[in-house]
Amino acid sequence: MLAAGLVLAAAVALSVSAFVVRARFLVALLRAAPAVDRSNHVPVRVRNEATIVLGQRKLLQRLGPGLAHAFIFWGFVVLLPTILIAMIGIVDKRSTLPWLGHQGWYALLDDVFAVLVLCGVLAALWIRKVQRPPRFEGSHLGEADLILALIATIATTLLLWHATRIALGLNEWPRQWSPVSNALSHLFARDSATRVLERAFVWTHVLTILAFLAYLPRSKHLHILTAVANVWFGATGPGGRLEPLRFDDPDVPEDQLRFGSGTIADLNFKEVLDTYSCTECGRCQDACPAFATGKLLSPKLVIMGLRDQLLAQDSAPLVPGAVPEDSVWDCVTCGACVQACPVSIEHVDQIIDLRRHLVMVDASFPAEAEPMLRDVERASNPWGKPQSERADWAAGLGVDVLEPGVPAPEYLYWVGCAPSFDERARTAAVSTAKLLKAAGVDFAILGPRESCTGDPARRIGNEYVFQAFAEQNVATLNAAGATKIVTGCPHCFNTLANEYPDFGGAYEVIHHSELLAELVRDGRLEPTSAGGRTITYHDSCYLARHNDVSASPRELVSAVGRPVEMARSGKSTFCCGAGGAHMWMEERGKPINAERVREAAATGADTLAVACPFCTVMLDDGVQTTGAELEVVDVATLLAEAIPDGSPPPVSESRG
Amino acid sequence: MVLVFIENPGDELSQQALVFARALGEEVQAVSIDAGYAPAAWASSIAEVISRRGPSAVIAPGTDRGNELLAHVAARLDLPMAANCTSVTPGDPATVTRVRWGGSLLEEALVHGSPLLLTAAPHAVAAEPVGVEISTLTPSLDGALGVIEHQRATVAGVSLADASVVVSGGRGVGSAEGFAPIEELAALLGAAVGCSRAVTSAGWRPHADQVGQTGTKISPEIYIACGISGATQHMAGAKGAKKILAINPDAEASIFASADYAVIGDLHQVVPAISEEIRKARAR
Repeated sequence: MLAAGLVLAAAVALSVSAFVVRARFLVALLRAAPAVDRSNHVPVRVRNEATIVLGQRKLLQRLGPGLAHAFIFWGFVVLLPTILIAMIGIVDKRSTLPWLGHQGWYALLDDVFAVLVLCGVLAALWIRKVQRPPRFEGSHLGEADLILALIATIATTLLLWHATRIALGLNEWPRQWSPVSNALSHLFARDSATRVLERAFVWTHVLTILAFLAYLPRSKHLHILTAVANVWFGATGPGGRLEPLRFDDPDVPEDQLRFGSGTIADLNFKEVLDTYSCTECGRCQDACPAFATGKLLSPKLVIMGLRDQLLAQDSAPLVPGAVPEDSVWDCVTCGACVQACPVSIEHVDQIIDLRRHLVMVDASFPAEAEPMLRDVERASNPWGKPQSERADWAAGLGVDVLEPGVPAPEYLYWVGCAPSFDERARTAAVSTAKLLKAAGVDFAILGPRESCTGDPARRIGNEYVFQAFAEQNVATLNAAGATKIVTGCPHCFNTLANEYPDFGGAYEVIHHSELLAELVRDGRLEPTSAGGRTITYHDSCYLARHNDVSASPRELVSAVGRPVEMARSGKSTFCCGAGGAHMWMEERGKPINAERVREAAATGADTLAVACPFCTVMLDDGVQTTGAELEVVDVATLLAEAIPDGSPPPVSESRG
Repeated sequence: MVLVFIENPGDELSQQALVFARALGEEVQAVSIDAGYAPAAWASSIAEVISRRGPSAVIAPGTDRGNELLAHVAARLDLPMAANCTSVTPGDPATVTRVRWGGSLLEEALVHGSPLLLTAAPHAVAAEPVGVEISTLTPSLDGALGVIEHQRATVAGVSLADASVVVSGGRGVGSAEGFAPIEELAALLGAAVGCSRAVTSAGWRPHADQVGQTGTKISPEIYIACGISGATQHMAGAKGAKKILAINPDAEASIFASADYAVIGDLHQVVPAISEEIRKARAR
């Protein structure tokens, strides 16, 4: 008994010290990382722990693999006290944990969850060895096999230990509560061989756990500890907001100013924690439109590359050391990876930080994007059109252009550069203006005083230019006393609603589809449902995924035609290819827009409805490339077509 | 004392560097170098002058050579260098305003280090005569990496960016082979051949031929756009064209909004007809 106790103590000491040595290194890296403030929204963070960690919500986005993981995870949580019970059993085979060790219901839970864990392991092996989904491409497969083998050993030895104890009459709990162990106990006689086996099983069980503990911080399985923290510190607001860089903050000493991520020393606290939390499951890679169209980028390999360079303490530039340069530019910032990630890794923020360094420090970025950056700065729009022509689209529509010094009406209509200047995107602005007029909405545009929100500059990594525009636009909007802003561009929407608050601009921002749906609901616009069109609606990433607007555009689609859905819709939409400043970049590999158009055409629809000027241009190009029989139309235009021209429905007096 | 590197005595940009240097309010001395271009060897000789004369700042014109030379000097002395400055306020650190982003951004920066190493952005100050004697250095080029020979770039045909006539084809051309009449017309006019993004996406022509936002920006006397719808992305690259002749069968195509001359018709009929007329006219 004493000898067993001493051996166990030595094994525990060895395992714990091996764990602590590595854990101290990992914690030191975290402490050295630049801080990022994630102390707000505590109730949301608690809820995220409950749903994402305990409830396994994001894992269960894929039911099969999600359940396999949930069984193993829940089993791990339920079986934690058995570690203590087994250790007590090693020291004294006639003792157990007070109270809990005697409970029949806990023995039942042990049995049920040990079996569920084994089912989870078998399912995981089936997925990895038989199905072999491409999401594991580039992951450490051998490491995963070892981890699964360790888990299986732990669960199996638990069941066998319980079975031998029942056979020997050593069970402190009523045996009828353990259906599985009890059934297995019939394999063992009440003899000395079983007594040896009982010792062997409990030792194997405990030593495997101790070996696992020592191995854990040296493996990707570290996520079982770090994921809890990573979910806690995950972004709580809308997914489209980027952390601003603090150029002008007097509290930040000059030598601590960050210009994105150049070396491992630049990775902030959350970015370091992200790399500790990745277990290489590849769900991000599977969701990534760039990866799906044969580009170099895999969000998983970005995180793995950063992790490997961080842990190697290699201070070489992160690009191309950890991440190839092409990968950095392939990203369309659609956020599909972030949404798919079960442990709240923020791939897009990591990639944007790499871009920021490349653009602002190294001045190294795709040459074809340079005219966009120059034109945004010089002309306040990405195509270098004269600002004086910004309101030309509204000629003859009787739209009020807000003059300086005049207070904003109920709604400020923020048109956006593409609907102002691009001939294909303009139609939606014209339709929106006509509809708002017909419904008697009090609105005005800024005309030449509206400028680019800075979104394309920010997404390509030029935070300087973005912040200059953010400050300028916030000043204009605040001076006009704007409170409610309606916009047709999801990228403007995201910037105005989610990013300008960081620069002193707080507005109620709604998308034109939301306002138009409300007007239809209130009877202020009454479409005569011609019903001729079969319409599939393409969700814009910046509207549906980043800002959760997907019901309103569908209301409009249903009001004017017969809706059909694509498989990838709502928050699980598939990018058009324009996000992340790709509207102004050349695409490598297969075009994303063509891929999406083929999906839309497969629904049998004749109309591809959109609610974003960039989706309009990209998908219209895709239709022409693929020769699909589809008309790309903004939801506002679909609605305008269904309203009898020139005769707006009367607004009843009671509805002031 | 401020040391100014004169690239070519009497040239405008070197004069501007001298005027720029006066802003530091100190005596100005000038050096030029009489040897074949060898940046490392030149820098070594400038560094030697710095250690001998102890200037508080070294200014060079913001030319390719001025920037490269001073970068070498900076690396040699382990000092920071600010390129393309439009103004400087002395101090420790000195404050400079400099041009970044190809002229799109003016950055205010603090420059530490002594001597201060700056190049003067071209045309930030007006050139005027500055009465300074120029001492000439003759560094030894033994074993130095230098320029052996100058060779003028020979471009086959006419470069798209500089061409005074550009004939482009869009999706309406239909195929790579469909460019034959466009190439024929371009040859007759001494023009460069361009295309739209749809064409490069389809793989009919290389990206180097692409006119547009993400391709080449052109500024010809006349731009002949055949079978191009005129998307914003394309027209952003053609806005420098003085006149636009658009050929497109779709009368609603947005290119007609920016075109000075319009032919509504199929380019496969219109373009050969134009070529034919040119040949006839020349035969007369």
